[in-house]
Amino acid sequence: MVVPCSGIGKTYGTVSREAAYEVTEDLRPGATGLVALSLLVLGDEDARAAVRAHPAVTIDGCKLACAAKMVEESGGHVAQGIAVLDVYRRNRELKPRGIAELNEGGQQLAHAVAEEIATVVDDLVSREEASDHA
Amino acid sequence: MPDYLETTVDKFIFRVATDRLYTAEGAWALADGDRVRVGVTDFLQQLNGDVAFAEVKAEGTAVAAGDEVATIETIKANVEVLSPVGGTVVEVNPAMELSPEAINQDPYGEGWLAVIEASDWPADRERLLDPQAYFEVMRAQAEEEAQKP
Repeated sequence: MVVPCSGIGKTYGTVSREAAYEVTEDLRPGATGLVALSLLVLGDEDARAAVRAHPAVTIDGCKLACAAKMVEESGGHVAQGIAVLDVYRRNRELKPRGIAELNEGGQQLAHAVAEEIATVVDDLVSREEASDHA
Repeated sequence: MPDYLETTVDKFIFRVATDRLYTAEGAWALADGDRVRVGVTDFLQQLNGDVAFAEVKAEGTAVAAGDEVATIETIKANVEVLSPVGGTVVEVNPAMELSPEAINQDPYGEGWLAVIEASDWPADRERLLDPQAYFEVMRAQAEEEAQKP
């Protein structure tokens, strides 16, 4: 399960959501699902069940790490927490701007985050397959 | 470990270390003779959010009081840090290269920016705010920020 921070009205929150859409809709649509953080905050049972049943990859736009915290509070397991800021530090040329609509740098940063998540997903899937065969 | 003045505005707690002097813009100066360590305040770092990068003027650079001594890029803004003291940069915090988040984690300690060999510290010191004076300025700034939609 991919859980992005809500970060409404914030550039890095938008990057995290765009990255989540790209992973779940384009890069690894069969292997991933998206859980809205707001549903976890509201205690939605389907959302809580989803993060309890599957390892979660969280994407956080700031150090408050709301996505990671809410997955844990919902009884889920954070297999990998990704901070947008860390990815930006490794890709300084991709400076994100904009909120409703990201600039080119922001879109590319979202893509870089999505690629990192896709790698994590592949690793989780292979480990799951290996344990199924064991 | 310095002592702190502390206030809560909205849901945020802001601290002001009592062992140094300040500019109203949120830079601090901690003197050891004429060598003055500089950094930014807890309020300034919280106001601007997580730090992505910090670029400090290189060692050997001459700065006047009020000149830019560092630029901090955060998730919200690019912040120019104006030097509280004039002189020559003699040391740059190496942590700023790889872990500038030290500014967020420990603004009065590990998150220092530079050491400046002051050219006239007694004169610069006179222009700076003592902790209590900065505390009042900062609290007013924080309350103003809290009113913003």
